[in-house]
Amino acid sequence: MVNTNNYLLKVDGLRTYFPIKKGLLRRTAGYVKAVDGVSFGIEKGQTLGLVGESGCGKTTVARSIVRLVPATAGKVLFEQRDILSADKVELRRLRSQISLIFQDPYGSLNPRMTIGNIVGEPLKVHKRVTGSELTERVMVLLLKVGLSPDYMNRYAHEFSGGQRQRIGIARALTLKPKLIICDEPVSALDVSIQSQILNLLKDLQEEFGLTFLFIAHDLAVVEFFCNIVAVMYMGRIVEQATAQELYRNPLHPYTRALISAVPELDRPRQSRRTTLGGEVPSVLNRSPQSGVPPTGCPYQARCPRRQSDCLEQIPALKRGGNTSDEHFVACWRY
Amino acid sequence: MSESQQLIKTEPPKGTSLWKDGFRRLRRRRLAMLCLGVLTLYFLLAGFIYLAEFFDWRIGPTLWAEQAGQSYAPPSSKNIFGTDIFGQSVLRKTLYGTKISITVALCASLISIVIGVPLGAVAGYFRGFVDEIIVWIYSTLSSVPYILLILAFAVVLRDKTFFGYKLTGITAVYLAIGLTSWVGICRLIRGEVIKHKDREYIVAAISYGCSRRRIIFGHLLPNVFHLVIIDFSLRFVAFIHAEVILSFLGLGEAERPSWGAMINDARIELSRGVWWQMAAATVAIFFLSLALNIFGDALRDSLDPKLRIQ
Repeated sequence: MVNTNNYLLKVDGLRTYFPIKKGLLRRTAGYVKAVDGVSFGIEKGQTLGLVGESGCGKTTVARSIVRLVPATAGKVLFEQRDILSADKVELRRLRSQISLIFQDPYGSLNPRMTIGNIVGEPLKVHKRVTGSELTERVMVLLLKVGLSPDYMNRYAHEFSGGQRQRIGIARALTLKPKLIICDEPVSALDVSIQSQILNLLKDLQEEFGLTFLFIAHDLAVVEFFCNIVAVMYMGRIVEQATAQELYRNPLHPYTRALISAVPELDRPRQSRRTTLGGEVPSVLNRSPQSGVPPTGCPYQARCPRRQSDCLEQIPALKRGGNTSDEHFVACWRY
Repeated sequence: MSESQQLIKTEPPKGTSLWKDGFRRLRRRRLAMLCLGVLTLYFLLAGFIYLAEFFDWRIGPTLWAEQAGQSYAPPSSKNIFGTDIFGQSVLRKTLYGTKISITVALCASLISIVIGVPLGAVAGYFRGFVDEIIVWIYSTLSSVPYILLILAFAVVLRDKTFFGYKLTGITAVYLAIGLTSWVGICRLIRGEVIKHKDREYIVAAISYGCSRRRIIFGHLLPNVFHLVIIDFSLRFVAFIHAEVILSFLGLGEAERPSWGAMINDARIELSRGVWWQMAAATVAIFFLSLALNIFGDALRDSLDPKLRIQ
């Protein structure tokens, strides 16, 4: 394994449980295990993609990293410092080096603020610059994301989805962060706009040496954009490999199903497409009735390669495949 | 525009804020604008009476105490609304009553906004223990019948001295109304804040390190404040009615004429066939209420983004 010190961000055994309160006394009746032991690392200048279907915990991972959602256990090391145990001042400093780009370009911009104020506010909050210098910085940022500085005094509702996402990106760049967490930045956009935004992000990554944690559910987008891809299922990482390796040689049955679901133009209609049966079982009810017994692999109910050992223990993430690349998989079949 | 002018222009063009947009839509409604005109007249009249009293102008409504004719003179060309038992002009009394009504409604609105909005925002943002206490307080207050509660406050506050200032007449009235009617706005703001605080723009603001104060007052309140304006354009009427009811029940302004006191007088007068004092006060209240209601509805239609379908 690579030396840990090279990682800009290292997430170690992250768990985020949401308590379910019931009854008059609001006693905790159980937990939704949204994130259940996730570990990964991102090297500086790299892009790690996190994929999985809706509700598998991708967004919760992102929000737990910057403590927008309190994590239950685990460590999040950013440049060797633990974000989860940082005090108020330290957290503020760390947060200024990590910024977020959100999924919904309509909901993530304050409708009562001008674009100039939205992009400039992080600087005002951290009291770095004021007055005409602030205006100048905002203008430069708008130019960087391909918007005219003339838009400064306009409001978010006067822009299209793609333009709004550019504004969101400008805001994420304002504090010159080292890490940007992109929470499905293109999934709310038209396909034609998606590629523009992805290219913009790539250009910015080169220009500023940015590191990305890129969350998506679209495998084609991830293949284009990421160096390393981690596949999540029900709050766990089930497979992790470099992008090419994952696409060439998917190991986990879930990853295979995902990849075979990607539509391709040049591939003849094939009959060996793996389709997923059933639904994602509820994270809440791990009971025999819901298809996921309290023990065993979380994927067993939908897995075509299930055997008796899958029902007993949860498989750990371990090295799989026979290539020289780093390839990890959590499945009893490997 | 010539080329040189374009080069000189340095300030980027202004965009249309949601406020500007809303008011533009409002201006297109003729009836609402007519009502706004009526409201402006009422407010100007109230302001004029304040000025006249301050500078001691002896003119129209400030002369209400003068005798204008015989006792109970019916409406005539000299006294359009006739006179009351003391021979005072009913028209002058009605005009003067505008000042009392507008003052009470304005002060009561201010008091309930000052109490209700911050409490609602804090309850909605922090939830938990703070929220439960605030909700408990307003639920308790709102479980008491409204008029009864105002009456109780008015009786308690009346003629009490606070910090060397004696609460007489209308001061006690608007304090009583203001202190009891912040519940509605508090509940409304709390609900809206709960709705807005999980929106992504708030999450974004937290993620780049905004303080709680900045989030509540800089991000959340500007996004719910149009509701305060809408709510009060509609609630203003209720405040005016509350003042009338209190005066009618003898707890309002005693020394100066108000619409409620005039209606109270009319109880005895009506049996003698003296209808004009009652009619004058009712007409004044009617036009103010109608204008406020129509204008309030139009304001809500044009300011509330949820109702924007056009």
